[in-house]
Amino acid sequence: MKVGMISFAHLHAESYASALMQMPEVEFSGIYDEDQSRARKWAERFGVKQFATLKDLLDSDIEAVIICSTNADHCRYTVAAAEAKKHVLVEKPIATTIQDANKMIETCKNNGVKLQIAFPVRYLPSVLEAKRIVDSGQLGRILAIKATNHGSMPGGWFVEKELAGGGAVIDHTVHVIDLIRWMLELEVKEVYAEYDRLIHDIPTEDCGLLTMELTNNVFATLDTSWNRPSAYPTWGDVTMTIIGTTGVLELDGFAQKYDLYNNEIKKAQWEYWGGDMDYFLVRDFLLACKNNLPVKVSGEDGLKTLEVALAAYKAGKDHQPVKTEDIK
Amino acid sequence: MKPGLKVGLIGAGTMGSAHAEAYRVLDNAELVAVSDLIYERAQAIAAKTGAEIKTADQIFADSSIDVVDVCLPTYLHRDFVVAAAQAGKHVFCEKPMARSLQEAEEMKTACEKAGVKLGIGHVVRFFPEYIRAYDQVKNGKVGKVAMVRCTRGGFPLPTAWQDWYANYALSGGLVLDMIIHDFDYLRWLLGPVERVFAKGTRGRDYNRLEYALVSLKFRSGTIAHVEGSWVSSGGFHTRFEIAGSQGLIDYDSRKANPITLTVNKKDGTPGVPVPASAWAENPYTTEIRNFINVLDGKDGKIVDGNEGYESLKIALAALESIETGKPVNL
Ligand SMILES: NC(=O)c1ccc[n+]([C@@H]2O[C@H](COP(=O)([O-])OP(=O)(O)OC[C@H]3O[C@@H](n4cnc5c(N)ncnc54)[C@H](O)[C@@H]3O)[C@@H](O)[C@H]2O)c1
Repeated sequence: MKVGMISFAHLHAESYASALMQMPEVEFSGIYDEDQSRARKWAERFGVKQFATLKDLLDSDIEAVIICSTNADHCRYTVAAAEAKKHVLVEKPIATTIQDANKMIETCKNNGVKLQIAFPVRYLPSVLEAKRIVDSGQLGRILAIKATNHGSMPGGWFVEKELAGGGAVIDHTVHVIDLIRWMLELEVKEVYAEYDRLIHDIPTEDCGLLTMELTNNVFATLDTSWNRPSAYPTWGDVTMTIIGTTGVLELDGFAQKYDLYNNEIKKAQWEYWGGDMDYFLVRDFLLACKNNLPVKVSGEDGLKTLEVALAAYKAGKDHQPVKTEDIK
Repeated sequence: MKPGLKVGLIGAGTMGSAHAEAYRVLDNAELVAVSDLIYERAQAIAAKTGAEIKTADQIFADSSIDVVDVCLPTYLHRDFVVAAAQAGKHVFCEKPMARSLQEAEEMKTACEKAGVKLGIGHVVRFFPEYIRAYDQVKNGKVGKVAMVRCTRGGFPLPTAWQDWYANYALSGGLVLDMIIHDFDYLRWLLGPVERVFAKGTRGRDYNRLEYALVSLKFRSGTIAHVEGSWVSSGGFHTRFEIAGSQGLIDYDSRKANPITLTVNKKDGTPGVPVPASAWAENPYTTEIRNFINVLDGKDGKIVDGNEGYESLKIALAALESIETGKPVNL
């Protein structure tokens, strides 16, 4: 199976490309990137072809593409790939507007290609185990969820609203909302949020806190802040505390780590060894394409998480809870 | 007889016992009287401290007593603090200051009128880890504070006298009774709160399994998140994370245990590990020592009625938000 990649604007591209290289049954055909020098750099690094134009890539015999452009470009590239009958794995968030997300979903459907959103956290071994425990019913009825998806400030286009759709809130809302929807089968009904630019000299917010009302009378909070300082031993976290009537589950997604102390780095570092979620994500997507199975994370899943992020922006501006059904 | 201030204690339950221990070790105060509706409780403290068992009214009437310490359930604070003040006693009262702002106001007024000092038991300000973090933040170790997360919890809800904690009308539940500690600490650290939004299990589910999550926006800009839980496993624990422009402080009491004791069972099977803390000084003693020192004309720190009132306001705002589903502006 031949796979191409569109844009290396998002840092996860490197990890997905490495995953492709590890799969003997997959041929990584090459890279198209608007930024020619970036395309050259990564094409050389992985020893693959650099496509001069998007058309060249889409005219080639690849069956699927992985899109790691800026968030605002997801729609344009997805639509082009779908019209060329290529399956699409696109970085999260699905898009920056509901209109774009709908267009992506429809175009893929009309052209009979698969659309998967890159929510790799679903593939973390710790998360899969947490889901097994939830499914076993040991927690009883779920009452509340406390979650975090902290990170370091990524800089670059991530802090430009036109390209990213926002800052820390859009960047770090979608992963955990996807987990909540998938693991607990709950939907977000209403969102309240506090967000602000409090740490870095950037155009977007760097701190965010969502408080939500979910289906089944469950409530939740989610901290999306880019507030890990450069001295912090790792990039960030994904944590969830799930409160049930008969038990409490605490998930720390990246807790499988040891501490590294190195005189040159000067700070302690956490070395994670729990498993390569990006590899599992890419493999799963390609298996679905090859065997014509439904993808695990659909465009609709991506759309639902985007709704929550957009509701948070409205709530944070108005200082009032916002219903997700009112996000259009 | 010890030199120093004479103290009468009303309420000899969990907190009364902790305060009695503080007076026992202080050298400028003496517990001379103790009162409780349950005679054995008063007796236990009397036996340890040499205090006389009295009724509350006898304590108020005793002119040799300088200080009244109120360790009663929250809904009784107002009546007893006001009576003590009117009898001309300085008053130390456990947190939360009262069940309502109206009651707290009356307590403040009574103490001001009588010219006596009022201290509220916001003991977290006397816990060494919280003090250390406060000092480091003030010294700029994390830069400008952006985002703070606090946790306080355990399992199960304590069963006290007449199970009063489980009665929302009397105790205010988890938010008023327990995480007011964090509200008070945060207000001390960050200044006034602008807006509160909160969700809790109250009114939607179980009362004994109480859980709440509170979002706070401070006038300084800082955002804070407070988790309160009577459903968490692993014993009582607290956490705080203070993230700023230059650094981050991360504390988890479960990771700061100097001692963990496991005693194997008689049949040779492993026992349950029990963590133990090892205070240089019990924070309840530090708190009482500070209050007594101020009365004694020495250096000390009091969390006074105004402070108790402001922290109460935040907790009541959180409860209001839980009820209405709307943010509350302060
Ligand atoms: N600072 C802290 O960390 C902390 C911890 C727990 C409780 N508290 C607060 O301390 C206060 C007391 O809580 P507690 O856990 O000790 O309660 P408790 O139920 O253990 O003790 C209350 C005692 O008051 C007695 N009492 C009731 N009415 C009385 C009366 N009219 N006269 C004399 N005695 C009377 C009861 O018999 C009981 O022994 C509450 O406001 C609570 O919120 C503070």
